[in-house]
Amino acid sequence: MQDMQLLQDGLALMGVGMGFVFAFLTILVVVTTLMSLVIRRLAPAPAQPAPMPAPASSDKADDAQLMAVISAAVHRYRHRHRHRR
Amino acid sequence: MDKLLTLWEGSGLYNLTLGQAAMIVVGLVLLYLAIQKRFEPLLLVPIGFGGILANIPEAGLALSAAEQAAHLARPGVLEQLAAVLDVDLARGASLDAWRHAVSAALHADITPQAYRAANDLAMDAGYSHGMLYQFYSVAIASGIAPLVIFMGVGAMTDFGPLLANPRTLFLGAAAQFGIFATLLGAVGLSALGWMDFSLNQAAAIGIIGGADGPTSIYVSSVLAPELLGAIAVAAYAYMALVPLIQPPIMRLLTTQREREITMTQLRPVSKLEKIVFPVSLLLLVALFLPDAAPLLGMFCFGNLMRECGVVERLSDTAQNALINIVTIFLGLSVGSKLMAESFLTVETLGILGLGIVAFGIGTAAGVLMAKLMNLVSHMPINPLIGSAGVSAVPMAARVSNKVGLEANPHNFLLMHAMGPNVAGVIGSAVAAGVMIKYLG
Repeated sequence: MQDMQLLQDGLALMGVGMGFVFAFLTILVVVTTLMSLVIRRLAPAPAQPAPMPAPASSDKADDAQLMAVISAAVHRYRHRHRHRR
Repeated sequence: MDKLLTLWEGSGLYNLTLGQAAMIVVGLVLLYLAIQKRFEPLLLVPIGFGGILANIPEAGLALSAAEQAAHLARPGVLEQLAAVLDVDLARGASLDAWRHAVSAALHADITPQAYRAANDLAMDAGYSHGMLYQFYSVAIASGIAPLVIFMGVGAMTDFGPLLANPRTLFLGAAAQFGIFATLLGAVGLSALGWMDFSLNQAAAIGIIGGADGPTSIYVSSVLAPELLGAIAVAAYAYMALVPLIQPPIMRLLTTQREREITMTQLRPVSKLEKIVFPVSLLLLVALFLPDAAPLLGMFCFGNLMRECGVVERLSDTAQNALINIVTIFLGLSVGSKLMAESFLTVETLGILGLGIVAFGIGTAAGVLMAKLMNLVSHMPINPLIGSAGVSAVPMAARVSNKVGLEANPHNFLLMHAMGPNVAGVIGSAVAAGVMIKYLG
């Protein structure tokens, strides 16, 4: 019975194929996990750079100094422009 | 008057067969789907247009030199062809009958030597291969185009999510069940006597369930070139339909609570891991399944170019210019297989039907596998990412994300679903390797 033969071949291929796909990917899971472990042990990722202090967190004294510098600059700029006219 | 008659007899309208007209309509439908409905336009535009070109009467764009000669040659050349092909030309029969006999002999099972001899003879007589036939032999019959595309896909793939959670590889493996279940379905249809597929053809049809265009084309070019047109069209059309096919199956197999599962944040993956991964995958292929080496070798090569960071230019070419060029020729070559006599058969309907079943079963197997893993593992897994195990990158992962957002608007599954998604690419390439090993 040739049809039965074909069906059997199909079933065999299904078994072999699914089995192999799972076996291969299982090995890949193991290898990948080991690889990651080894790499992270031997060459630890550079620590995440510490978060930059937010500019808003600067203290009052700094702010005052900044204001002084800016207003001096603005003052000088206006002064110079007036002269040129 | 005679001249006018010759002109009329040389016109497309006079020579158009019903099958060719039907196939031109099929080509136009593919163009409509691609342009208006945005179904995988990058491939369906060239495929649809190639299909129209292949069916232009008398132009013979998709025919080999011998087939051209059989259609057009003088009686003297036909007699020589018949001698090479071992055909008896009935004395006194009409020229059309001779042509028919020679064409039939070329389409029947003849030895490659006889076919080559016939081709040489036809070329000596001044006939040449059609343009699309040339494209097909260079791009697909040689196996090159699908492999170059696979390299480009490798260069576009980020294995980060997979490396962060390697267990998602199991989901990619489970979804390949669609391939083998469809193979069994095709064999079953033959056993019932409804269709007539050999085991090789059944395997090539099954690979549609891998939802991976280049892999499908590669496998069918090796195992069943005669079905390539239908298989490629089914594979790309259904890949475009993933957002329609998958969600109902996913909702059916999961409960609301399962769909709401949030997954833990993926850990960052170092550059070194990403560089070592394609190399270790390649070594595994070399050790265990050399038959998958063409597909996975090119895939790993493309990925290594992307991740190693020192060949930006090559990586950029592989994922843009090169893949675009190859896609054009791949599409036109697939179109050349949409000739009326080989496409308009009951088998094509069977392939289209089996293809959609393959997608459905693959999706279901992935979801069920995710549920199983959820039972045994302590880290929660949302079963929706299982459906992304059918490759169709990145469409399937987007579908998982979308269905997940419907259940829980704060649950973004996209990155988690990319893991099984690229695992599906590896899985279907492995399945292809097994089939070629077993049947090739």
